[in-house]
Amino acid sequence: MSGWIIKGLKSGVVSTHYPDGGENAQGVSPGLPSPAGGVGVDTPIGRCPTSALKAKDGGAALDKFRCVHCHRCDRNVEPTIPWDSSYEWAEKRGKTPELPKAFQRSTHIRVLDAGDCGACLNEMKLLNNPFYNMHRLGFFITPTPRQADLLVVLGPVADHMKTALLKAYEAMPAPKKVMSVGTCSATGGVFEDGFMTSTKLEDIIPVDVVVPGCPPPPLAILHGLLLVTGREDEIRSDATARPAADSSGKEAGDA
Amino acid sequence: MPNDTIIFASIFGGCALGALLATVLKGKAMRVAWAGFGCLASIAMLALGVGGVFAESARHIPLWTVPHVGPVSFSVDHLSGFFLIVTALVAIPAMIFAAATTSDEKARKTPLAPLSLVLLASVALVILAADVFLFIVAWEVMSILIYLLACGGPKERPGYLMLAVGETGTLAVLVALLLLGSHAGSLSFQAIQASSAGLSATLVEVVFALTFLGFGVKAGLIPLNFWLPEAYTAIPSPIMPFVAGATLNLGLYGIMRSNMYFLPTTFAGPGVCMLLVGAVTALIGILYATIADDFKTLLAHSSIENAGIITTAFGAGMIFLSAGHKAAAAMALIAALYHLLNHSIFKTLLFMGAGTLERSANTRSLDEMGGLLKRMPWTGLFVLVGALSISAMPPFNGFVSEWLTIESLLRSVELSSMGLKMVFVAAGAAIMLTAGLAVTCFVRAFAMSFLGISRSEKAANASETNRAALSTMAAVAVICFVLGVVPTFAIPALDRVVAPVAGASGSTALVPTFFHPDTDKLPKKFTAEFHDLGAQIGKDAIPARGMVVMHRGGKKNPVVFAMSTPYMFVMLVVLLAALVLIVRLATKNRKVSRRPRWDGGVRRFLPEMTYTATGFAQPVRVLFEAIFRPKVSDRRESIAQHFRMSIQRKREEIHLIDRLILYPLAKATKAVAAVFAKMHNGRINAYAVYALLALIIFLAIAAAL
Repeated sequence: MSGWIIKGLKSGVVSTHYPDGGENAQGVSPGLPSPAGGVGVDTPIGRCPTSALKAKDGGAALDKFRCVHCHRCDRNVEPTIPWDSSYEWAEKRGKTPELPKAFQRSTHIRVLDAGDCGACLNEMKLLNNPFYNMHRLGFFITPTPRQADLLVVLGPVADHMKTALLKAYEAMPAPKKVMSVGTCSATGGVFEDGFMTSTKLEDIIPVDVVVPGCPPPPLAILHGLLLVTGREDEIRSDATARPAADSSGKEAGDA
Repeated sequence: MPNDTIIFASIFGGCALGALLATVLKGKAMRVAWAGFGCLASIAMLALGVGGVFAESARHIPLWTVPHVGPVSFSVDHLSGFFLIVTALVAIPAMIFAAATTSDEKARKTPLAPLSLVLLASVALVILAADVFLFIVAWEVMSILIYLLACGGPKERPGYLMLAVGETGTLAVLVALLLLGSHAGSLSFQAIQASSAGLSATLVEVVFALTFLGFGVKAGLIPLNFWLPEAYTAIPSPIMPFVAGATLNLGLYGIMRSNMYFLPTTFAGPGVCMLLVGAVTALIGILYATIADDFKTLLAHSSIENAGIITTAFGAGMIFLSAGHKAAAAMALIAALYHLLNHSIFKTLLFMGAGTLERSANTRSLDEMGGLLKRMPWTGLFVLVGALSISAMPPFNGFVSEWLTIESLLRSVELSSMGLKMVFVAAGAAIMLTAGLAVTCFVRAFAMSFLGISRSEKAANASETNRAALSTMAAVAVICFVLGVVPTFAIPALDRVVAPVAGASGSTALVPTFFHPDTDKLPKKFTAEFHDLGAQIGKDAIPARGMVVMHRGGKKNPVVFAMSTPYMFVMLVVLLAALVLIVRLATKNRKVSRRPRWDGGVRRFLPEMTYTATGFAQPVRVLFEAIFRPKVSDRRESIAQHFRMSIQRKREEIHLIDRLILYPLAKATKAVAAVFAKMHNGRINAYAVYALLALIIFLAIAAAL
């Protein structure tokens, strides 16, 4: 015994209090450029590798479903683009009916890796850890689509994974929802014109919620999960944030 | 008695005439003759057997006097009556099944009909024989007929192996019977039985060892049972139900006959030996059955297992008898006989199922079957009944006899010797492990053949068998059910066989009559307690004895173990019906949507990807690796020494008995033969020396004598 019980009791609750309040711990989000406010015409639109920045009304507009947070528009340029470090990026798309009440607070998720590079999968995995702890909100991972209410698709849907995706979607019992996680599954991302993808997720199956980000931070995915289950009213991120137990990012043993 | 003449004419004349007609006739007429005369002989055996069991004493029917041997005779006593009933119950459906499922082509190639009818007659002869000469002749005829059936296949080995091991057993039996005969001064069983009390301890030990080893060969007891799976696999499927249901019993008949009648029952040694050998046989049998891929091999190993259980129960009875616990002995012997009866019935059913599967799916490998329930629903139902019976599930017959066996083993607390108690504990643990593994084994056997999806082309194209074969299976399944639901009617009949030997009645204790006014045989206090439990409910509705089977301990262990299969059956029906009703009601408003099966999203879902029989048995294989000791060999295939193309792992289980006994024996024999082979050097003058030496030795012996 290494005294982990005592240590655990001492450190108290360290989970984020999102969605009961905002989370302001360091590094919870890579952020997005926010060109809306006062960006001049000399904003280096052309430097964006995924054409997420587009000229608009003499300034620039961001297509957040394409941004990969590469900071090329931000570094070594003057003036810099303001950076928005929020994480509530998910957007509703679908017109499929809401999940019934009974499923909203106990949602079983089938995670489908449709050619993902591993980053989104890793962030998805983080939702299971004590800090994000999605189980407290009633989200559970299930290995079989037969028991799943929600299909979470990661990756640009490689041709080889299309059959598996369709089969998994077919195998899910109604009512079912689909959430697209990551830039790749939203638009194709950096693989948009790649040799191994030919169709977009939204062309194959109806998508209800799209979470942008490359990869989206766990809180963005959590936000998406709350949207897709119709629990927007639970999100009170603008409420006074309860100070996090230890949001310095320091761990025991750090100097 | 003219009655006897008709019956014996029906049995032996019927079989002979049937064999003759079946040889001459072709096609449907042959089938009718086969089934008809088989049934005629079996019904005559049934009549004779029922007469024997319910007669007061044994009947001896002297036949004729053979020169140089003496008089030969038949006798029908309780034990042979019981075995005649078992054989007849097996033979009636099995003969019809055999006639119904033998294709014309097969009938032309192998004379199955005459062989099986003569086999039936020889089985009757073994049971009826009342002297050493007739018994050994009948035994040999039976062995040779089974050999002929076993060597009809593509391989010669099973037949030869069976004959070699079988003859070893017969020799041992012959020596034992002749020892007994010389002690009694007569070869008739009656005289041997009469002089059993005067046997010396050494002679008892020697005779027991020889008979147990010799009859154990036929019964499939270790160590001489390695012929059995091979022979059972080689014997043609149509006749296999009869061979499995009737001939394995003869080994047990021999063991029971010699221990109950020929040897005094005052020694505990034979009982202990049977108990231990039986328990080990049962455990090893079921272990190898659980991993077998061939359905018939699986059933053969399971026959070994059941023979082990019967021997264990019988050994327990013999120990109780030697220790003077007559009632407990009667119960254990009833358990042994009941399990023997049940095993014959459900093994016949299962071999019928296996034969039907082999015929329809054209394979015996469980790995290649699957999904057959959709194509063969009736066969599936009957095999399910057989599987439930053999895995001791209520309301079928296997449950009752295994329950009785285990309860009998628990009665060992009444014994005074600590050593004997330890032996019982060990045997009981082995039997209970066996019972658990049997469930695994038959869940696998049924599920891997009938459920899931077809794992081969052959299984996908299978079709249901003909009506006649199905109706025989249905009949046997019904017997399984009846023997499982109303054991209280069967136990008194078995008690008639056991009581004269045990010296006490088992049925009074096992099947108490508290439904009836004549409960004075039980203590008043005890009956009153059962009345409080509601045991008298329905006493007017049930015309016969009680429906409760129980084991009631003595003063030392005032425990009562009771079960009632009729009540259990009623409760099962009620509960299942209620469950179905509730589920129906609860899901009345639900919409059913059907989607293709979830296969993990693979592009091509192949049948081989589903759970196979080998995969299902893997946990057992891993758990008992210390017993199986598989030979694992890897083969790696690579290109230019670097690019690995495939790794193949081959795993081969060599049977424990083969590994520990047969192979070392064969190796030693070969080594001895190699020494002698040096003498065969091909030089003619050396041979002349040998001849001369042999002559000198012979003359020296002659002179000395």
